Amino acid sequence: MLDVTKSGLGTDARARSRLVSLCVNGEWHEVAVKPRVTLVEAIREAIGLTGTKAGCESGTCGACTVLLDGRPVLACITLAVECDGAQVRTVEGLADGEKLSALQEAFLDQGALQCGFCTPGMLMSATALLERSSQPTREEINKALEGNLCRCTGYNAIVDAVLQASDQGVKPVMK
Amino acid sequence: MKPGAPEVHPTHPKVTDPYSNIGGKSETEWGDVERGFAESDYVREDRFESHLRTHGYLEPHVTLAHWEGDKLNVWTSSMGAFVKRAKLARTLDLPYSAVRIHKTYVGGTFGGKIDLYSHEYCAARLSMITGRPVRIVASREEIFSAFRHGQPLAMEIKTGVRKDGTIVAQRIRVINNSGGFRGSGVVVIFLAWGFTMIPYRIPNLRYEGFSVYTNHPVRAPQRGHGAPQIRFAIESQLDRIAEDLGIDPITIRLRNARLPGERLPNGDNVHNAGLVECIRIAAGKSGFLEKYGRDRRSPPQGTIRRGIGIGVSAYMGGTLIYPNGSAVIVKMNDDGSAIVLTGAIDIGQGAETVISQIVAEELAIGMDDVKIISSDTDATPQDIGAWISGMTYVTGNAARQAAGNARDKLIAVASERLGVPVGDLAAKDKVVYSTRDPSARMTYREVIAASVATRRGDTVIGEGYWRTMRDEPNHPSLATTKGRWTENYAFSAQVAEVEVDIETGEARLVKALTVHDCGFPVNPALVKGQIDGQISMALGHAFMEEVMTKDGYTLNPNWLDYRMPTIHNMAVSEDADVITEQYRVGQPYRTKEVGEGLVSGILAAMANAVYDATGVRLNSTPFSAEKILYGLKALEFEQKRSQPKETVGA
Ligand code: FES
Ligand code: FES
Repeated sequence: MLDVTKSGLGTDARARSRLVSLCVNGEWHEVAVKPRVTLVEAIREAIGLTGTKAGCESGTCGACTVLLDGRPVLACITLAVECDGAQVRTVEGLADGEKLSALQEAFLDQGALQCGFCTPGMLMSATALLERSSQPTREEINKALEGNLCRCTGYNAIVDAVLQASDQGVKPVMK
Repeated sequence: MKPGAPEVHPTHPKVTDPYSNIGGKSETEWGDVERGFAESDYVREDRFESHLRTHGYLEPHVTLAHWEGDKLNVWTSSMGAFVKRAKLARTLDLPYSAVRIHKTYVGGTFGGKIDLYSHEYCAARLSMITGRPVRIVASREEIFSAFRHGQPLAMEIKTGVRKDGTIVAQRIRVINNSGGFRGSGVVVIFLAWGFTMIPYRIPNLRYEGFSVYTNHPVRAPQRGHGAPQIRFAIESQLDRIAEDLGIDPITIRLRNARLPGERLPNGDNVHNAGLVECIRIAAGKSGFLEKYGRDRRSPPQGTIRRGIGIGVSAYMGGTLIYPNGSAVIVKMNDDGSAIVLTGAIDIGQGAETVISQIVAEELAIGMDDVKIISSDTDATPQDIGAWISGMTYVTGNAARQAAGNARDKLIAVASERLGVPVGDLAAKDKVVYSTRDPSARMTYREVIAASVATRRGDTVIGEGYWRTMRDEPNHPSLATTKGRWTENYAFSAQVAEVEVDIETGEARLVKALTVHDCGFPVNPALVKGQIDGQISMALGHAFMEEVMTKDGYTLNPNWLDYRMPTIHNMAVSEDADVITEQYRVGQPYRTKEVGEGLVSGILAAMANAVYDATGVRLNSTPFSAEKILYGLKALEFEQKRSQPKETVGA
């Protein structure tokens, strides 16, 4: 388990910590991390933003997806030291204060989440998709979300939410 | 299991001679099975096997324990705070009052987080020893290798029927490879009997289930808990019987389906069982009989074959098992809003949403006026937990009672103040008013102030309690199956349409239709979410997922090698609920199970659809490309052999 000690995040006493600057959701953070510390550990344990989830810590589930300089990456297989000076966006950065993003609203409306554990990763992958393609096709949605596992919803509601958020004729369910 | 085999637990008392390693047995019988077979026009025997799968919850097991000298605080990923507390307190030999399970949001469970796990015990014990908080998170590899998976069953089924397909007698033997310890191994063989006897009438039955100790990790319950396995077996065999007799799959099911008001062998009544409607509507909506057999009769060009299949299932809701019942408290705030205290745990099924809805409805206040405090063993009342498909029914009705109790108190005070009889008062939008003279009205705020002013300072608090079958003893016997279960049985018929590539053997689910009687759907969007999730899980069961083990080790302990459905594997999932209008009137809320039974009929439907597409009958899950291809080759070989040798002598 990780420890935030005086010498920085990580437990390897033989390795020196390095100072890494991350701009997370528009705020700069300087964190001291051992070389083996991953980006998801830095975000969750050092910066304290626990919205980003870790389901496998081996790059297979997508729950840890964040946007690194605008591109979705798996934060569990990205080392924090690689990200010095980077812009990071996490699920906490999607809403504008109390106002959820259109995609978040659509997820709520379509019931695109149950336990919610996959949701932060799904939202980040889908946000990146919508930022590069405002009206993605079903195939593009499938491609963009293929690395994000969801065990609860069966995915149909998630695709509908992305279609709804991009104004492609999917009607709101609850409103 | 073989008589004389080395015992996994040599010191355990022998449960059943002559067999070895029996951890428990479930046994029941009614009618006269042998006579039933003798009187049958057709008898068939088959053996089926299911394989080892796992839950695949996205959130790993995680536990944080903090011992504070006289109090153990625990945050853990679970399916019911009160069950966890009971197990943990007993294991640690602490009074229940010294263990507090705090609320957590849980990232999926599907049966895999009910049992008390060793990491939970270890975190607690280590914190008690060190006085420091201890957190243990399982890695995915550990979950695959050392935690508990589902329960693979072997099922032998002998069924006798009349010419018209009516079941006369059935003999069923179920063997569970339960791993090194008892776990819930006996529960699953007991439940497999239940899922046998609910949907169809079986006048004569003999059932034997064995839970067998093996050199494997101990097993956990898994969504459906025996239903997917046994329904796959029974529904597959029923299709074969139908074909052997020249009956179609719909007719044979309608002939045997239970009707409303029937009494089950355990003494329960199925009440308004919508099974017949389910089968009829499923057949109609899917165009079943027009599609059935089409590609086998006239194979299309190319290598893709399409098939359709149906499966039927039923599931009980809120069965008696510790803690048996739920209580809910509704506290009115001075402004007419409400705080709900409930032990219910939200694992993604929407427990908090549904309970808030019920309280809002009964109190005639808005959803935004309801604040819920849940799943904390110190702060909230006892709750059955999210693992026996009864939370909406049991906790939901406790919530209805609690809110109704608070509303009655509000109305009683208003009646005194307004001088209007209670019977003439109604509540709407946080106002109590006279139905004869709507100008005689008081807001909830005024009523609560009046209650405090005139009734010794009494504020308004409602209490509610619920459990299924109040006059029954705690729960049925696993060994003898005696004892009643519940007053709520959900029924379903599901249709699968699959495509099989006969060149590669690969099969996929294209379309699923679920027609079900789930009682009153309190929140239709949540019901739909449960259905879609179960379709996805079942198609993983059917075509993709298998935990491979060798000498007790897991060979594929990650999601690259254990393949769960991704977004590319999803199928169209349609659904319809039947007879719900019968539940719309009157109280209590007749809600039934919807969160786990629907992995079953669809699994059977997929097996039957693979047969319909290819003529290949698979007696074991998963329906892998290898097995289908092997089956196709075997058919080809058969065909060649039986063809007349016209070239002889030419
Ligand atoms: S936690 Fe990063 S992919 Fe699973
Ligand atoms: S909502 Fe639970 S894993 Fe996706």
